[in-house]
Amino acid sequence: MHGWWSDRRIGPLLGAAGVLVLLVIAGMTIYVTKVAWPSLNANGLRWFGPGGDANVQLQEIFSSREPFEYTLRAWPLVYGTALASGGAVLLGLVLSTLTAVFVVGFAPPALARTIEPVVRLLAGVPSVVYGLIGILVLVPFVGNHLISESRKESVYYVVQLSGQSLLVATALLTVMIVPIMIAIVVDALRAVPASWTEGAMALGVNRWRVLWTISLRAARPAIVAGAVLALARALGEAIMLAMVSGGVIFAPNPIDGVTFAFEPVLPLAAAIVQGAEGISVKPYGATLFAMAAVIMVSSVGLSIVGWAVRRRLRRFGAAG
Amino acid sequence: MRPTLLLGACLVLCAPAAAEAKTTVLMSGSTSVYPLSTQIAQAYAKKYPGDIKFRISQGGSDIGIGDVARKRVAIGASSRDLQSGDPGGLVFNKVARDGVCVVTHPSNSIANLSQQQVQDIFSGRVRRWDDVPGAKVTGPINLNVRTQASGTQDAFRNIFMGQSLNVAPSASQKATNGLVQTAVRSDPQAIGYVDFKFTGGTYAVPYKGVACNLRNAKSGQYPGVRNFWYVTLGAPKGAVKKFIDFARSPSVQSTIVAKDYVPYK
Repeated sequence: MHGWWSDRRIGPLLGAAGVLVLLVIAGMTIYVTKVAWPSLNANGLRWFGPGGDANVQLQEIFSSREPFEYTLRAWPLVYGTALASGGAVLLGLVLSTLTAVFVVGFAPPALARTIEPVVRLLAGVPSVVYGLIGILVLVPFVGNHLISESRKESVYYVVQLSGQSLLVATALLTVMIVPIMIAIVVDALRAVPASWTEGAMALGVNRWRVLWTISLRAARPAIVAGAVLALARALGEAIMLAMVSGGVIFAPNPIDGVTFAFEPVLPLAAAIVQGAEGISVKPYGATLFAMAAVIMVSSVGLSIVGWAVRRRLRRFGAAG
Repeated sequence: MRPTLLLGACLVLCAPAAAEAKTTVLMSGSTSVYPLSTQIAQAYAKKYPGDIKFRISQGGSDIGIGDVARKRVAIGASSRDLQSGDPGGLVFNKVARDGVCVVTHPSNSIANLSQQQVQDIFSGRVRRWDDVPGAKVTGPINLNVRTQASGTQDAFRNIFMGQSLNVAPSASQKATNGLVQTAVRSDPQAIGYVDFKFTGGTYAVPYKGVACNLRNAKSGQYPGVRNFWYVTLGAPKGAVKKFIDFARSPSVQSTIVAKDYVPYK
């Protein structure tokens, strides 16, 4: 009776499902670009550049009548996205690599058996939960205890420091992406052929050096893959960042020293959430869709870069 | 076999919709009016079951007014008054009134703010609490405002700021009343403005010498009050008229509206 389910039929059927996925992605890309076009077209590459106050520009876009105003210099948004997600991935890389090495090489089996499921569970916590913790606990704490009165005074004419800051955004993003990175690196370290590590041990090399020089090196493609995945998640994270990151478009200035970390940022995805109420105002909607297009293109670019790096690294290792 | 199946599905799914033949009233517009609209619509459906089907969406006052002018919806909900730039032929039907409070942290219980003071603070002319007479805290002022599309933002501009004065661009823009409330509640140097219903945990500053609460707004003393409108193209007729008349009827005004809002006058 399995005549109907022959491979000859199933093959094209599954193929159709695959093609459908491609069509959906293509359709989405076309739609986003189409709606975003007036904004992209009016600004060109200057969209990514600095100039003027983006808060004022968005206000003018929102309230403009025909012919619509589209001028936006989104540099602070792009820079904010790069700072928050880049910082989180760098921190996450260090944290997750060290944790994974501990879990694989040093943790007593009982502890490792506890850490792993907990980490995987953490990876599934919805981001809005982190957002709530951020806004109800971290932001008031940072605003009232970490930022001194004199620090607030020092920049108050340019930006208000209320605790909604790059620091909180990056910290929460790190907590969000670390679990998935740990899971990936742990799997990769376990996949390193036992003969390699045992060979090194037989030569009298200690566990730390075996893990550091052999296992981690072999696992590099997987670490890159984890970082790319984490970066993509950080780029697209919107709700949590919209809740904790201050609601004002501002480019933190490294010259400010420590204050830099306490200055607010508004990443692109968070800016879309913030403005969602006004999405049916035509020029404003186009502007938000332009931000969405930029996020989409960067994610695709990231995947390609990740793939290229993995290909190069794979020549030196076995795993991944 | 396939066509029969499809037809069967259609019979099951399409029949109820076709049989009822209700009038559907489309609404869009202000997010502030939305909760009230859904309550009135529910009450209407209870009183006249199966009479009108409502489809209520949000978007902001400007969206509602634009939609009704282009005949996309029958009723546009607006939390701002008629402006000179609005399309012609629109009729604004007042259904309720609502208040906006200026709020600060409970530790900063300012006795009163004048309109001039509110304008100076929110436009960024005065940036320190030290320069605000009556303030109980010192240091920089942290402004919390709403995003551009918000009806509350629009009302705040109209009532407190005036059309020509903009909120300082360094102000932190929040997407909802609740987020402004949370921010003000946890930051001693913060100031913001919220709808009446969101003042919990904050200190509602008396404006022009009148405490900001529902009672003072109902008595007409509190000046920070805006209007909620149902906007129609031309005078309302048919089902739309029936619904708007219902919303403006004394029984609805004294129950649903009076609970959280100010009945219209």
